[in-house]
Amino acid sequence: IFTIFLYLSSLFRKSVMNPKRCAACRYLRRRCPKDCVFSPFFPPNNPEKFACVHRIYGAGNVSKMLQQLPVQTRAEAVESLCFEATCRIEDPVYGCVGMISLLQTQIQKTERLLARTQAEITVSQIKHSQNQHSEFM
Amino acid sequence: VTIQINKTGVVVIKAEMGGPGSSSPCASCKLLRRRCAKDCIFAPYFPPDDPHKFAIVHKVFGASNVSKMLQELPVNQRADAVNSLVFEANARVRDPVYGCVGAISYLQNQVSQLQMQLAVAQAEILCIQMQHEQPLQSHHQVLELDQDEKALLLNNNNINNCNNDNNNLGYAMSSGQFNSNFASPSSIMQMQMQMQDPLKQESLWT
Repeated sequence: IFTIFLYLSSLFRKSVMNPKRCAACRYLRRRCPKDCVFSPFFPPNNPEKFACVHRIYGAGNVSKMLQQLPVQTRAEAVESLCFEATCRIEDPVYGCVGMISLLQTQIQKTERLLARTQAEITVSQIKHSQNQHSEFM
Repeated sequence: VTIQINKTGVVVIKAEMGGPGSSSPCASCKLLRRRCAKDCIFAPYFPPDDPHKFAIVHKVFGASNVSKMLQELPVNQRADAVNSLVFEANARVRDPVYGCVGAISYLQNQVSQLQMQLAVAQAEILCIQMQHEQPLQSHHQVLELDQDEKALLLNNNNINNCNNDNNNLGYAMSSGQFNSNFASPSSIMQMQMQMQDPLKQESLWT
């Protein structure tokens, strides 16, 4: 009976400590089922990816979000969640909204510079045509 | 404020004041169905008259995660943090696949297009100058740039090195090359250091 117990406990340990568990199940210290919602997107060789997402959103919320999406869009959803979580960790106050603000400011400045440059072109063209006219006269 | 007349004909005026220490719990404690403590971390930012604000943040991030995030921040930065979380949560609910990253991708495309137009316009100015056979010094007189615009022109070169033809984030993500085709958050933040502080734009929070 003792040997049977040892055998069964080693089997249990193997199923929990399975090196093929995804990064999420490793992080959560649980068995990784065959239909694990995380395993296609959180391979075991990149534990930081899940740690980052879990820190900001939580495993339960990520699982719910993924389950509500069609399977073919889940990979992109995970990447965008990872990106946003990374932004939030790097900038705890503004997250990726800081990046949006930066891009909006950049757009405004570039538009102003473009308008100025186009105005300079127009002025140069007018000057050139006036010079040509005066030379002709 | 409510005005009622009780059975004895006496007019009773009740004024409900929001915030901690009042009888009305904040929106988060209402949703979580718990007593709103005097030092409730959510109360200053989630007033009871806007339950949707906390509901959406709770749906995407979860109350405990939001609480942890706020506790790690100085008090004077928490309002901005809450507003940015609400913005991100709204974006995620509107677009469950890309969230805010969709908006970033769109803006990056806009920046690229404007930079191309600017490069064309600058090349055109140079052509005009060459046609007029004016010396280089007068070119600077024609196009007087202030310090910010010079920095922007220099940054344009850096951005063009970061971006490539696959600048559309959606396309990049579908091709499975998300990390290599999109500048990392840290590099974008470095760019932020070189520019003026663009934060606290009111339009973002509307």
